Amino acid sequence: MANGEIVAGFLAPHPPHLVYGENPPQNEPKSEGGWEPLRWAYERARKSLDELQPDVLLVHSPHWITQVGHHFLGVRHLSGKSVDPIFPNLFRYTFELEVDVELAEACCEKAAQRGLTAMMMRNPKFRVDYGTITTLHMIRPQWDIPIVGISANNSPYYLTTEEGLDEMDTLGKATREAIEETGRRAVLLASNTLCHWHFHEEPDTPEDMSREHPQSYDGYKWDMRMIELLRQGKTAEVFRLLPQFIDEAFAEVKSGAFTWMFAAMGYPELPGELHGYGTVIGTGNAVMEWNLVKAGLAGAAAAPPSAAGDRAAYAGAMR
Amino acid sequence: MTAVSAFLVPGSPLHLLRPDNPPWRPIVAGFERAARALAMSRPDAVLLYSTQWIAVLDALWQARPRLTGAHVDENWHDYGDMAFDIRVDTDLAEACVNAVKAAGISSKSVDYDQFPIDSGTIVATRLLDPDGRFPLVMAANNLYHDAATTMRMAEIATATARAQNKKVAVVGVGGLSGTVFREPIAIEEDRIAAEEDDTWNRRILRLLEKGETGRLDAEVENYAREARVDMGFKHFAWIRGAIGGRIFGARVHGYGPAHGAGAAVIEFRL
Repeated sequence: MANGEIVAGFLAPHPPHLVYGENPPQNEPKSEGGWEPLRWAYERARKSLDELQPDVLLVHSPHWITQVGHHFLGVRHLSGKSVDPIFPNLFRYTFELEVDVELAEACCEKAAQRGLTAMMMRNPKFRVDYGTITTLHMIRPQWDIPIVGISANNSPYYLTTEEGLDEMDTLGKATREAIEETGRRAVLLASNTLCHWHFHEEPDTPEDMSREHPQSYDGYKWDMRMIELLRQGKTAEVFRLLPQFIDEAFAEVKSGAFTWMFAAMGYPELPGELHGYGTVIGTGNAVMEWNLVKAGLAGAAAAPPSAAGDRAAYAGAMR
Repeated sequence: MTAVSAFLVPGSPLHLLRPDNPPWRPIVAGFERAARALAMSRPDAVLLYSTQWIAVLDALWQARPRLTGAHVDENWHDYGDMAFDIRVDTDLAEACVNAVKAAGISSKSVDYDQFPIDSGTIVATRLLDPDGRFPLVMAANNLYHDAATTMRMAEIATATARAQNKKVAVVGVGGLSGTVFREPIAIEEDRIAAEEDDTWNRRILRLLEKGETGRLDAEVENYAREARVDMGFKHFAWIRGAIGGRIFGARVHGYGPAHGAGAAVIEFRL
């Protein structure tokens, strides 16, 4: 089926603290809460995602780093326990997910056609990275929508930032083509923090919010400047400033997800909806949405009844 | 001295997963010679630092008594998985945490089921100690630690072992030059990707063999920068810290490529 489309993109950062603060049954460590403004931001994003009724969620994660090319999860069912190597005290999460392998293969093929090195990950024992899992949990804790997981090739770090982000731009365009040609109704998730200056020690009680604040005032000001531009829909200006933002705020968007998502959406000059902003161990995190349906840049807000029915059946199969 | 042997080895999964590939044979053969030397040194524990175990908060030390499982590398997943069965000297690990903390370096132990063990640690332990005879003490590579901090941690770890009356082997796991092929290659044609990197690697290996500590001090920083050495060559700093700083010479058991990057198995003279 052709005529697929991207219905929305979300900036969907992945601090495992948000899962820890929420206390879902999948996560072993238990908290007294914490990071509520960001978690409430995700609640709003969840509601919006629910209304969009996508067939698939595509996530580009900076914690699956690859040196040789851009990789795509290519195993239909993946499960296991994800323990964050940086915050194992906060995130030990039992997951089970379904991959839209057909779309992943199409993305891979389109990326290769555009000159990128691209490959499928076919190993069923592969450990899905915690960035992918955290973003997916926070946006859709039901785990009832198939996903496509995309690695962060290290080109922005190995080459120059600009050369690396050029690759992400190409990857985004390839992703869009694949979505259109496979007929999917897709939501893109850029799993990125903004300013990434962070504390070097953790409080004894990680969720003690009296200890949470921006690590860097300059980084905070950069975040506000970029968010305000995004809220105004000044996308071209955001991308003009992006290399400077990356350098001065040590912004995690360097890893490529943000560029990938905007390239796939065609860099719309569309005001983004800020669901919320907050810091996590000092880093700046914004949950933002670009709803292409509401903007009239994609099809109807509700998926056809058949899609909703398919998803209900899928959720049943997952249980 | 508490250290009875010391090795710098690469952590690429390629040498473990495709040992018969001709360009990778020198490294695999080098590991075989180093494994014999490690066994003959009969350590009570191995102090291991892998550049691929990344930390950003604190100095992390593995404190789970036994770690088992199968790991699939993030890059080389199509080459299969790597089984591991690692024992940890938890008494020494916890003592290292406390001693490093007392020296002003924020430090923590980790003891969690299914904690992700990095490829470098698995490769090194599988190839250096295939029978799992020696328990490990494993320290993470905190990205914000410089060479001096890494040396200090290793120095403290060795002193802590001495206080427990334990002989230790020291292992730094990481690569040499860091230029890689960014596209798939015919692996039987693998080589050091950049000629300048190869020249740099060989120069540093010669200085290590000759034990020219002064010249190493003068050149390592340039080497790390110009040859894009894996994590700034902090795995070498780990070894230096553990053996007292001075290099008395070394034997290069193997040198070769890992998809364009430089790799060597080096045994240090003590």
